[in-house]
Amino acid sequence: MDIPSSLAIVSLAALIHASFQLSVSVLTLLSGHSIGAKHSHARLLRLTTSFVFGAGLMTMLLLSFISLILLDAFGDNTPQIVWAAGCGLLVGVAVAVWLFYYRREKGTTLWIPREIAGYLNERTKATKLSAEAFGLGLSGVIGEILFVIAPLFMASLVLIQLPTMWQLVGIAVYTIISMLSLTIVWVLIGSGHNLGIIQKWRESNKYFLQFAAGMGLIVLAFFVYVTKILGNTVGFQ
Amino acid sequence: MSLSVDVVKQGGKRQTELFMRDKLHASIVAACLSVRAPEGQAESIAHAVCDAVIDWLQQHPEVTSQDIRVVAAKHLHIQHPQAAYLYEQHLITI
Repeated sequence: MDIPSSLAIVSLAALIHASFQLSVSVLTLLSGHSIGAKHSHARLLRLTTSFVFGAGLMTMLLLSFISLILLDAFGDNTPQIVWAAGCGLLVGVAVAVWLFYYRREKGTTLWIPREIAGYLNERTKATKLSAEAFGLGLSGVIGEILFVIAPLFMASLVLIQLPTMWQLVGIAVYTIISMLSLTIVWVLIGSGHNLGIIQKWRESNKYFLQFAAGMGLIVLAFFVYVTKILGNTVGFQ
Repeated sequence: MSLSVDVVKQGGKRQTELFMRDKLHASIVAACLSVRAPEGQAESIAHAVCDAVIDWLQQHPEVTSQDIRVVAAKHLHIQHPQAAYLYEQHLITI
């Protein structure tokens, strides 16, 4: 696979990652607590910025870690069975996203273990320092690992086929694009927008986001299946 | 100020506690400030909502924290619909 196609797959995987909403929910709650507690705007910015950096760092670490494991296991010549497993994982997660991602109730409650949701809720309330917000950002990504594992796995498989320099570029591209939704909400909150409007938009469009994430995973699986499995079998590459 | 009303906590796992007006007041103020309402307006809305909830509590000696939330949200909705929305969303965001 050539470098532009590889980066396109990494970008699509990152875009799917960006459509998952746990970190955005935690950021919204964190901002609500900070504004409600009458903290200064500078402190609100410090907390939310630390949170966004924490989420970004954890995404980068997870992608690098999965890439390292795959590189160690298969080198840069990944067997087709692993590509097929990756496609299967994408389709499986896509179906799970369509069926379960949001709970069938009011609000934006996600289908993640209630213990993790409760923990994040409590920690959000208790967060006063930038370091705690940074840790919360790290935990937010881990809390959604059941869903983000699929795009992360596929992006890692593609990344390890690239020359070393382009692997670093790929990791940076993935991290930046996967942070898009979080960055937009962070900018909106930082510029003084109303949290109620942000949350209302998220609730009104939650089923669209759910559908888009699932469809994105299916498209990614289809593209990879055609280029890496069918393409190799019939000799396109 | 505390009224002698037992509040059963969410899920019934923790001990009951006496109703505390200050706690409710703070949560209403926080919801109003979160939707960028001015501080003075947030305080006066919180006073009005707390008064309404206390009136309701006079006829209910034992309630759950969720009951208080529902009644407070209903009265907050009259005063500031956006703050009421965010107040209701608090536990159903994640």
